[in-house]
Amino acid sequence: MNPANEFLTRQTRRAFLGKSTMGLGSVALGTLLNAGGKDLTGAGLSPGLPHFAPRAKRVIYLFQSGGPSQMDLYDYKPHLAAKFGEEVPESIYPAERKTTMTSGQKSFPLAPSTFKFARHGKSGTLLSDAMPHLAGMIDEVCVIKSMYTEAINHDPGAMLFQTGSVIPGRPSMGSWVSYGLGSENADLPAFVALTSNGTGKGGQPLYDRLWGSGFLPGRFQGVKFRGQGNPILDLYNPAGVSRAQRRRMLDAVGKINGAQAGRFNDPAIATRIAQYELAFRMQMSVPDLIDFSNEPRSVLDLYGPEATKVGKYAYNCLLARRLAERGVRFIQLYHRGWDAHGNAPKQVAAQCRDTDQPTAALLRDLKQRGMLDDTLVIWGGEFGRTVYCQGKLTKQSYGRDHHPNCFTYWMAGGGVRGGMSYGKTDDYSVNVVENPVHVHDLQATILNQLGIAHERLTYRYQGRYFRLTDVHGRVVHDLLA
Amino acid sequence: MMRRTILITAVMFPGLHAGAAEPGFAVDVRPILSDACYNCHGPDAAARKAKLRLDDRVSAMRSGILADGQLLERLTSDDPEVRMPPPDSNRVLKPGDRAKLVAWVKGGAQWPEDDRHWAFVPPAAPDHPPVRKGKWPVNGIDRFVLAKLEQEGLQPSVHADKATLLRRVTLDLTGLAPTTGELDAFLGDDSPGAYERAVDRLLASPRYGEHMALDWMEASRYADTDGYQNDRLRYMWVWRDWLVRALNDNMPFDRFVTEQMAGDLLPDRNFFTQVATGFNRNHRINSEGGSIPDEWIVEYVADRVETMGTMFLGLTLGCARCHDHKYDPVGQKDFYRMFAFFNNVDEAGLGPNNGNSPPFIKVPKSWPELSEEESKYVVPEPMKIRTVQTSVPRPQAGSPDTVMVMHEKERPRDTYLLVRGQYDQPDKSEKLKPAIPPVLGQWQQKWPRNRLGLAKWLMHPRHPLTSRVTINRIWQHYFGTGLVKTSENFGLQGQMPSHPGLLDWLALEFIRTGWDVKKMHRLIVTSATYRQASNGSAALQRRDPENRLLARGPRKRLSPYAIRDTALFTSGLLVEKIGGPSVKPYMPPGIWSSISNARYKQDKGEKLYRRSMYTYWRRTLPPPTMMTFNAAAREICIVRNDKTITPLQALTMMNNITFVEAARFLAERVLKVDGLSKAERIERAFRMVISRRPDRVEMKQLLEDLEFYRQDFSKRPGQAAQLLAVGEKKADANLLPVELASFTMVANTILNLDEAMTQD
Repeated sequence: MNPANEFLTRQTRRAFLGKSTMGLGSVALGTLLNAGGKDLTGAGLSPGLPHFAPRAKRVIYLFQSGGPSQMDLYDYKPHLAAKFGEEVPESIYPAERKTTMTSGQKSFPLAPSTFKFARHGKSGTLLSDAMPHLAGMIDEVCVIKSMYTEAINHDPGAMLFQTGSVIPGRPSMGSWVSYGLGSENADLPAFVALTSNGTGKGGQPLYDRLWGSGFLPGRFQGVKFRGQGNPILDLYNPAGVSRAQRRRMLDAVGKINGAQAGRFNDPAIATRIAQYELAFRMQMSVPDLIDFSNEPRSVLDLYGPEATKVGKYAYNCLLARRLAERGVRFIQLYHRGWDAHGNAPKQVAAQCRDTDQPTAALLRDLKQRGMLDDTLVIWGGEFGRTVYCQGKLTKQSYGRDHHPNCFTYWMAGGGVRGGMSYGKTDDYSVNVVENPVHVHDLQATILNQLGIAHERLTYRYQGRYFRLTDVHGRVVHDLLA
Repeated sequence: MMRRTILITAVMFPGLHAGAAEPGFAVDVRPILSDACYNCHGPDAAARKAKLRLDDRVSAMRSGILADGQLLERLTSDDPEVRMPPPDSNRVLKPGDRAKLVAWVKGGAQWPEDDRHWAFVPPAAPDHPPVRKGKWPVNGIDRFVLAKLEQEGLQPSVHADKATLLRRVTLDLTGLAPTTGELDAFLGDDSPGAYERAVDRLLASPRYGEHMALDWMEASRYADTDGYQNDRLRYMWVWRDWLVRALNDNMPFDRFVTEQMAGDLLPDRNFFTQVATGFNRNHRINSEGGSIPDEWIVEYVADRVETMGTMFLGLTLGCARCHDHKYDPVGQKDFYRMFAFFNNVDEAGLGPNNGNSPPFIKVPKSWPELSEEESKYVVPEPMKIRTVQTSVPRPQAGSPDTVMVMHEKERPRDTYLLVRGQYDQPDKSEKLKPAIPPVLGQWQQKWPRNRLGLAKWLMHPRHPLTSRVTINRIWQHYFGTGLVKTSENFGLQGQMPSHPGLLDWLALEFIRTGWDVKKMHRLIVTSATYRQASNGSAALQRRDPENRLLARGPRKRLSPYAIRDTALFTSGLLVEKIGGPSVKPYMPPGIWSSISNARYKQDKGEKLYRRSMYTYWRRTLPPPTMMTFNAAAREICIVRNDKTITPLQALTMMNNITFVEAARFLAERVLKVDGLSKAERIERAFRMVISRRPDRVEMKQLLEDLEFYRQDFSKRPGQAAQLLAVGEKKADANLLPVELASFTMVANTILNLDEAMTQD
């Protein structure tokens, strides 16, 4: 169904839900709704949402943790080759913008990229040769070369992208979306987080708060799928306990709790009964979700040799598609290992080996299923990297420190304009010179594609109306189809 | 006398009383103005539109718009250009609220001269209001509650039955369920004062201090790691030990706060008061290479101000860090004047990358039983910064036998207002001295201008907030909701108290008793209000779903800590040992290493079964079992947790190794008693967990289930063996595996009942 039609259907569904009660054990659905069981109904129930017809139904955000190097991947600076080893001009890169990892260096030599660049697709978008697979899908992609942030360290940098604030306690983007739009699937959470480790060294840690619900109610937090043991914490019955036994146990719990609900008139009991049933449905549905045996060889090949290795980026990309198919609203991937302080050419190449093929495969797979139109895919990390060398500079090797002033993101599908590049940086890839896009602008644009006016999705906490974009952000309409 | 009381409360809280026809300014009007208008017409000068203030009486009157019809037009016009609030403000004025404002303007826009926000006026002794049902009240609390109920035409509920009550109070005071022995003793004791004696027994239990420490630990953002990026280790458990002991010793609350705020500055300071100051070092510390030290020192100091604001003042001071507060009369300068109190610590911006960050002191091996010599105040070694990795400045690291404390620099750091809160944008035109916001009272000249003076101000009997805010959190502990629901915010955007007179009376009682914390707990739990049955009628539930009127007793889910502790306790697994370093119980495989560069090394033996307050708290990856049940993440000060119910909670209770093992030991416990029938064994297990006996229907169900599981496991004995192997503690080999496994499933059922996680 196209998103505009879905918008209408949902309005009707909401009207329907308002009047009817459905059998759910002995518990009236109305009670559940009052008790905050909104994620059971499958409908987005925050009042007035979506604010307008959405272009995207769901988001897959491929977060590249550590800060990928823009000038080794997208931001081509050919003239720097001739300036190898020259000091970066102080006028371009003032001292106070450097982190204390490198601010003590005596010298800041320019490190031109060792990667080769070429134009790809009908759009002629420039890409480095580290990403041959993405090159094949580049006409779907809208490259933003003019992203910028304030954060120069990983933790605040990632927090800003994920929650709109470096201060902990704020909900992540996925939580906001799940709070606003609810779930499309009664058996799975609306917001899922997936993590993988890169082969590039220097993996930055991730934190639960990146997918936390902050001050929003806990049911909106991202549910992390795990790479080992239970795919979701404590999902499976303990060893020795069969499904039939679990069903038996749940029936008893439901019956006794149901009688208790009658004695106490406390809607929390009805909610608990319902959540136990949802837990059971999760137990039933997740094994099917992660069973890739029905994927044709051609699809597995598309994602590459690691497609079936649990916990790898390729596996997570395929899982993301399967989650998307099942109506999960916000799928947040993280791939660690982009923090190339040392041998950047080697590390960037290794990271691209992990990610390039699966990323492109995800786009192609979504497209061939007709899902790319209403799935917004986002690629990018917490900041970019310096044009000057950290540590020792040779012809083959250089390190790059954190760089907040400019870096590259891209989006695809979900109503953004494919095959375009947006924004410009200066000749050194140090500052944005045209069409800057701030973190909050990106967030406003993402919400916009989901039919959410970022200024109107608010939650009152500590006497204030909070929103993802704090008091900032504007939708970047130039990026939209 | 009674008549006078009514008058006084009516003046202080007009509109809270039934029959108040005209909107009262402080209660009915200003909250609406604050919410809908102050963003543009409030205290923040920089954000102010049209030079109009609606937060300041004189300014608002002088503008003339209250009287000349302009405000009325702005409220009633259909023209979007005229109508307030404008669409682009994203402020919504609900129709009912708009009508209230219109009525207020039409009624002459009465704005009393003394328009101070209620919470900024020190509590005045309210007399007990008159009540008709004179026999019901047990103590002062009940008269306020009953008066309100009578106004509302409601009756209090009957007393909770004795078993329910003992379960409630035992869980509230100790975080554990009563034993069946304690239940039997209490049920069999019909002598007067039986309940009060039970309460005194619980207050004297060392479990009290452990349980009560948790609220304080969450608010004080206590943890075992630094909280940023690689989330390096720190050692603060000695402070946690201090906390448990102070609570168990019933240290008067004014002393309790003063030691934590300024234990290093007291005339009678010693090692223990020094340890107490760790309170202000529990904030997160950043060790990430590349960070700019000056930036992070500002973060730490701001965190101290914000934590103090939330915990003692019930104010969102953090809002004034970047600009004047949008709602409360706290200017940006006020924020930095408070900041100055905490800006004198001899500390480093970057952490040492594992270990305590200076200032810290060495803890003697004999802790907590120190000799006289060891109990003396210690001067921390001065901070030494060393540059590593080319240019990363790091301080020396405190080893595991140290604890972080507060210690003043010899020369205080200069404090300036930071423009937009940015560390590198000080407004150097004015150096700011430590001071309190004028709206919160007066500073006495005899107080030193440091944290000690600050503590004296906080604990002064005429302070408008400290006692109210604290007693409100204590109330919240019992009733799930504070008398002021927004326990973190007593400011203009906070909610009005449900029982203003009661709040003030309690606040003054607290001071009058010499800040006797246990006495206040006792007062609350011995009230008739607390002792009501919690199963109100459907009609009452509809009328008052949040139980703000208190026409029934509190019914609430156990805390995350109590859920695990109670499962361990009833199964006999709990190892009760007070204090010491944090422990690492069961965690899923790869819990840390999957997303960080650290590895979780699970403990063995008795450390698996300690109370949850001792569970190792890694801030960036807090224990999932606790987080699933809405524990605070301990990153910033949190004084109120939501209690949403999620499917992940169900998965935890059904399948988590801790709870499965507990079910097995609960089963073992009842199987090991000789000569009982199956029903009697089930009844025992049920009663240990839920504190009541199962009824006929429940018993029939569980007996049938037991038989089902028995038959099932008999057919597949291998599965029984598998289930019995969950958890590190071995099953008793003398028990038949099929029998133990089937009882384990019944015990698992019981532990998953709503009542097992709830106190009725």
